[in-house]
Amino acid sequence: MHELSIAKDMTTIIGKAIGGPRPLDRVNVTIGPLSGISAESLRFCFGEVARSEGFGEPELVITLVAARLVCLDCETEYNAKDFYDGCPSCGSINRNILSGREFTVDSVEFDEGNS
Amino acid sequence: MKDPRRDNKVDIATRVMSRNDSFAARNHELLRSNDILTLNIISSPGAGKTSLLEAMAGFFGPGLAVIEGDVRTRRDAERVEKAGCKAYQIETGGSCHLDAEAVGKALEHFDLTDGELSILAIENVGNLICPSGYDLGEDMKVGLLSTPEGDDKVLKYPSLFSRIAVLVINKTDLLPMLDFDVDRAVRECRSLNPNVVVFLMSARTGEGVEEFCRFLKGQAELEE
Repeated sequence: MHELSIAKDMTTIIGKAIGGPRPLDRVNVTIGPLSGISAESLRFCFGEVARSEGFGEPELVITLVAARLVCLDCETEYNAKDFYDGCPSCGSINRNILSGREFTVDSVEFDEGNS
Repeated sequence: MKDPRRDNKVDIATRVMSRNDSFAARNHELLRSNDILTLNIISSPGAGKTSLLEAMAGFFGPGLAVIEGDVRTRRDAERVEKAGCKAYQIETGGSCHLDAEAVGKALEHFDLTDGELSILAIENVGNLICPSGYDLGEDMKVGLLSTPEGDDKVLKYPSLFSRIAVLVINKTDLLPMLDFDVDRAVRECRSLNPNVVVFLMSARTGEGVEEFCRFLKGQAELEE
């Protein structure tokens, strides 16, 4: 479980972007299925790290995006959250991965008066 | 100028791995500039990474150096040193993966400029998930899958198996005792990664080791 060190990297990135720790309401992140990140573990670790580093108790809003794949047999482009299912048109599992490794801190939100 | 502290939403749009990636880029440049081919070897615990490295040490001798990542103990470093190459052990102290910053510090313990070293193998902590997202500055990730683990593991760990350049299926000497379907594992790995290069091997008996080492030697010569 590496989400603890990841959570610390996240607070470093957030701190840099907003000029230091302050209580947050919401942190928005995007995770792809090929990022190797477990959303559940991240939620747990991020809560602990955020609180201990002075970012309050923000809600971690995780957008789980699908991977985008292209079938090498029939050229259909399709989305997948797991990789057991093949192409929806022809069933083939020959494919190229176009995206799915996303893992970004998108934005943070806080109350105007909450500083 | 807008004061971000007064907005109630601040866009950040930053990749979380960007800090690690900048250390990885630094390692990569250092190793490349010394004509060293670098491997990041990833598998579950007990798949045979250290046995593979011992076999590689027999082929490459002092042309190979090894960085060992383990939660505790120098045992693996001692094993590969005994087999004939230089090794440095990173004890991660609980962390489940190596990161590029730790590898950069480990590199200070090697003389990269002596011209003798042509291959650096980094043995990651045994784990199929966490190491996959951390580039260390390697030229290629080598995924090791051992036959007793089962032929269904590739699609369970797509983050790793979609990123490897080389798949080594180890412990082929056990195939007669197991239901492991080599074709299935290879087919599913290619489904994530059409260009993956595959080697079948038994690090224990030595079968397939020389073929793998010759491939690496060829790749190392391309670096020079």
